[in-house]
Amino acid sequence: MNDERELIALLKKKDREAFKTIVETWQDVVYNTALGLLQNAEDAEDTAQEVFMQVYESIDSFKEESKFSTWLYRITVSKSLDHIRKKKRKKRFAFIQSLYGKNDELMTDPPNFIHPGVSMENKENAVVLFKAIEKLSSNQKQAFVLNKIEGLSYNEIGEIMKLTDSAVDALLQRAKKNLQISLKDYYELSLK
Amino acid sequence: MPNNFNKKIEDALSSLDGIKKASPSPYFFTRLEARMQKERSIWEEVSSFVAKPFVAIACISLLIMINASVIISSEKSNQTTISDQNNEIATIDEYNQVSSTFYEYVNTKP
Repeated sequence: MNDERELIALLKKKDREAFKTIVETWQDVVYNTALGLLQNAEDAEDTAQEVFMQVYESIDSFKEESKFSTWLYRITVSKSLDHIRKKKRKKRFAFIQSLYGKNDELMTDPPNFIHPGVSMENKENAVVLFKAIEKLSSNQKQAFVLNKIEGLSYNEIGEIMKLTDSAVDALLQRAKKNLQISLKDYYELSLK
Repeated sequence: MPNNFNKKIEDALSSLDGIKKASPSPYFFTRLEARMQKERSIWEEVSSFVAKPFVAIACISLLIMINASVIISSEKSNQTTISDQNNEIATIDEYNQVSSTFYEYVNTKP
């Protein structure tokens, strides 16, 4: 913890080595969270870079009232959700353009997402689950990814999302219910 | 819900159990630093251009011209308002004369 405080103090002075240490310590956490939300390696890498750029620029605004990890997760989730919104806007715009016969950029659906950390025997099921996760609302998606992919506790998720433990529990229950509905629809459709 | 669906759904929901964290591709920090350097140099170029004397003078001149044109056009519209008011007053006077003449005419009739 003291090391972390010292690193943060050095980073506030824009010390390169301190910044490098912070990046190397937290890059997996940031990348993995972004990957879970964005389901695309390139987008996750872009977003992870933007997260650390923001950390570098706005470290002075980090008041150390919460843990550094909490602050970092918040920035990561925020940037990832911004990216999703931007992509949805682009898709809508491309669709409107296609109505007017302008369709230079083909907005196709990406191929099935395979998370590299999923075990071999679970890969096929995980592909289907990630498709269902994509349909969740922002809050449910956030809570689910932080819990199931990042392995955070309800308390940790609550600190990041500024919710009580019971609110996080309710969110995860709703996420699970919605995932069950999506999965059921998927399997029924696949039978036809 | 058929039993085989239930099993499939449960299998899908537990497919993330034991998931390992993904890592970015190697030399992530190198790429990050390169991007930060690139963005910094773009900003430096923009700010150095804006800081040039002729750019500052051009911006100030433009502001002055805009202010002057707003002042001039508001003065013109004030003058138009005054002459409109004068016309109105003249019309009212004329109406009053006509109506009083008519009134006198009506009241002097036997």
